[in-house]
Amino acid sequence: MSLSNLIQNWNSFRTRRPYEGQYDDAPYKWAMVIDLDACIGCNACTVACYAENNLPVVGKERFGKGQAMHWIRIERYWGEGEAMQSEFPDHGAQYLPMLCQQCEAAPCEPVCPVGATHHSPDGLNTQVYNRCVGSRYCSANCPYKVRYFNWWNYPDRAWPNPLELQLNPDVTVRSKGVMEKCTFCMQRLRAGMDKAKTEGRILADGEVLTACAQACPTSAITFGNLSDKKSKVARTWKNQQVDLSKNVQEKSEEGIRGYRILEDLNTYPSIVYLERVRNLEA
Amino acid sequence: MTTSNLDRRDFLKVLGISGAAATLAGCGHTSIESGVEEVMSYVHPQDFVVPGIGVFYASTCAQCGSGCGIMGKVREGRVLKLEGNPESGISGGKICGLGQAGVQAHYNPDRLRTPMYQGEGGLIPVSWEKAHQILEQRLGPNSSLKGEQIAFLTDRVSGHQRVLLENFLETFDSTHHVTYDALSTATGRAATKAILGAEQPLWNIHEARLILSFGNDFLGSGISPVYMARQYALFRKAPRGTLIQIEPRMTLTGGNADRWYPIKPGTEGILALGIAHDLLQHEEFSRGVPQEVLDLVKNYDRDAVSDITGIGSDAVRLIAAQLWNNSPSLVIAGPSVEGHSYGFSNAAAVQLLNVILGNRGKTMEGQSEHPFPQLTPTLGSYQALAELNQKMAAGQTQALLIYGTNPVFTAPSHLPFAESMSKVPFKVAFVTHMDETAGQCDLILPLLSALEDFGTHVAEYQPNGVEVMLQQPLMEKLYPESKGYGDILLEVLKKRKPEAYAAFPDYYSYLKTAMVKAKPVFKVSDSDDHFWEDALRNGLVKWDGKPTTLEAKLPALTMPKPAELTTDYPFYFVPSIRADMRDGRHAYLPWLQESPETMTTVVWDSWVEIHPKTAEAMQIKEGDILQIQSATGSVRAKAYLFPGIQPDTVSMPLGQGHTQLGRFATGVGVNPYKILDPIFDGHTGELAMHATRVALRKTGEHQMVVKDEGPTTLQNGQKLVATLSADQAKLSKEI
Repeated sequence: MSLSNLIQNWNSFRTRRPYEGQYDDAPYKWAMVIDLDACIGCNACTVACYAENNLPVVGKERFGKGQAMHWIRIERYWGEGEAMQSEFPDHGAQYLPMLCQQCEAAPCEPVCPVGATHHSPDGLNTQVYNRCVGSRYCSANCPYKVRYFNWWNYPDRAWPNPLELQLNPDVTVRSKGVMEKCTFCMQRLRAGMDKAKTEGRILADGEVLTACAQACPTSAITFGNLSDKKSKVARTWKNQQVDLSKNVQEKSEEGIRGYRILEDLNTYPSIVYLERVRNLEA
Repeated sequence: MTTSNLDRRDFLKVLGISGAAATLAGCGHTSIESGVEEVMSYVHPQDFVVPGIGVFYASTCAQCGSGCGIMGKVREGRVLKLEGNPESGISGGKICGLGQAGVQAHYNPDRLRTPMYQGEGGLIPVSWEKAHQILEQRLGPNSSLKGEQIAFLTDRVSGHQRVLLENFLETFDSTHHVTYDALSTATGRAATKAILGAEQPLWNIHEARLILSFGNDFLGSGISPVYMARQYALFRKAPRGTLIQIEPRMTLTGGNADRWYPIKPGTEGILALGIAHDLLQHEEFSRGVPQEVLDLVKNYDRDAVSDITGIGSDAVRLIAAQLWNNSPSLVIAGPSVEGHSYGFSNAAAVQLLNVILGNRGKTMEGQSEHPFPQLTPTLGSYQALAELNQKMAAGQTQALLIYGTNPVFTAPSHLPFAESMSKVPFKVAFVTHMDETAGQCDLILPLLSALEDFGTHVAEYQPNGVEVMLQQPLMEKLYPESKGYGDILLEVLKKRKPEAYAAFPDYYSYLKTAMVKAKPVFKVSDSDDHFWEDALRNGLVKWDGKPTTLEAKLPALTMPKPAELTTDYPFYFVPSIRADMRDGRHAYLPWLQESPETMTTVVWDSWVEIHPKTAEAMQIKEGDILQIQSATGSVRAKAYLFPGIQPDTVSMPLGQGHTQLGRFATGVGVNPYKILDPIFDGHTGELAMHATRVALRKTGEHQMVVKDEGPTTLQNGQKLVATLSADQAKLSKEI
């Protein structure tokens, strides 16, 4: 995408997505559900992501400068308001697995001067490494802070021999000056979709999972194809009354747990979180 | 894309081998090095090797003792990633972060690559020929060692590795196998056995309506975390069970509780008796309870209990009422209960609640019988190490073999293990990495990694009958000079007892013969080869067993009141166990060092947790460097303000502070084991790890705490993690 094309068609990039029925005829629209009542904060997903996606370990000093490269992280909160309700966290901690929300109207996309981040036909917010010039506008514009910049040339130092033998050959090792982020394990999706296409079919529900969903000991993460109305993800989105193309969700009754984070920013995320449940009488 | 560190030759080195075909059939270890000259073309690939396609092979995770079935993704002769094995009743296709990091243990740059020998001028690399010569000279057929002159010190060991070890000792007329666990649960197990008749009952977590956990971190560092997490997920489905957690310092599990209570360390038993006091007011519970118990409980009314424990009397009433209303329940105890001089009584009082509540047969059952008791894991204790230490100090031990444990790092400073070790003339370490203990040995043997070796594993916690787990190489060995633990032992055994072992060329053939011999027990009618191939393919062999009945006993108990804090040592000291670091053995894995500890989000460090209110009173800010002084010693660490802690308590995570465990562990943080006071459980003699008391001293220094959380730990009104009250949730209508 050239810069002139981007400027000429600015409106279409900003307003075209999402619209109702957008993915009705598409074979795939990847989406996720994360049940915060099942998430125990154990970090199995985060380590699985390091293993699958060749994430570099940056070390203490760089971590301290905010240069950690974890595409998925567990945030831990002690309260919903601006102060803790009591002296102790009486109802436990609040764990939040935070990763790229694969927004349908992603704030990171229109600000990229070179079109390195854009939307794929199957509904993913993708990052093209060899287009990226490192302006970092996308990261500045991301309200979820899930984009990670290569401040250093990690291939030089992050995998001392023979740790590099563990690197996943299906995933690029990123070099200095490039932005990166969660891809919903696109290498797994790509391989699965290609295989299914060769066999003249659509991927079955659960046939391809992201590394985080596969590892999760409590199965808190459900991943699947929102275009496939029978998939668990699609059924859960419907059951939880979350519509991909709406920014205000109308619920038919109280006690329905599905919501999207920072929905009021009109980002239209592809991840539905299910509210954490606590027996507050206990 | 720059890949300057990714050597193409390394890649070809791995390609030029028989690869996965050998892995599947498991035919010994052809050296990678020896295949270097024979680079094969992909025009004629080996069976099962499809260029660019990963193939999964089953094995068993060796990162902790839970015995999870795993699958390794193998591609072009390299293992790339581990997943859970769906065939395994323990992992059920899931895997934790610690398990994932098994690949980094295997590819770790600091692995020991050749045998080392302590010569005149220090440690020098030697050939295997020389190593075997030394072994034969000391432990061969002409050795005069007998009985307790030889000692084999290990972590828990199960399966045929245990069988071979004991057979090896038997040739010296010895049974001197010492199992040490720096995070021993021996006191808790003894107490559970005294009350329920079994050391480790099965917990039917998903059938419990209420779990009352006294400091048991079953979702993090407990007995079988992946299995428990899977059960917990079912427990939280409709009709959703309630979790109440009571502990001095919030564990990962405590963070998931519906209600969390901070308790004064060591008063858990008294709270349990207080709850029992309330329950026994009801005739339904008091029927059949012996008079001794009624007499014991009598003195623990709510107000008395509240004064001692710091838990309000309303809370005691509420907990008892919920146990009354939510049957069946499940009451469990963890390290913070048993880590006191009266830890046995403390834990027994907690288990007493299960008997009073009638949880036996509902949420608690006995584990099934075991068809092969000799394959079950040996469980470690501190006491075992202390006894060995005494023998070594007295000069009774002539040879010490060490496998899978690092007591020089984990023993408290009042147990001078390193010093006692120096009195043993011959010390051998079987390790993949040089650690603090191996550094003190005479002969250090480089082992194959868990992803390169064969083995069988039997977990302590067997939820469905009994599973004998198979471990098989997922790739060829990286270093030609490394050897399997079983192979090394077998070679010595062949010399000591040729008539019994000469028939086995290697550990693989020993293992296969042993498993095939056991085939009738598994009621398999396949041919021997089919049985073995199936076992390797599935990664396990299952034996159907039924849970057994727990026999309850209500012994008389005495429950001491903990001594008050003194002005010299005004804080309780609680060491916390990280799910990923455990006793510190995993500190060399960079993924785990960089994985934020969930409760604090701190990375690559040690820290001391202190309640914000206490910190405010002492004018301590995050990052202030404090000296934590016990009667035994002191360490320095950064303060981290943590609301999930009892205000008279400070806590530090175990696992850091290595002086020798490779580049990722050495020099990171400090080692709190070294400030633990010599306080022991009166019943079992185990080290009371939660009984130390400390003073805090400000040093005036300050450093940034490197952590993942931002400037606020609150959501500030954003709907990030929303919480719904359980009575409003409509879980039964969900998918």
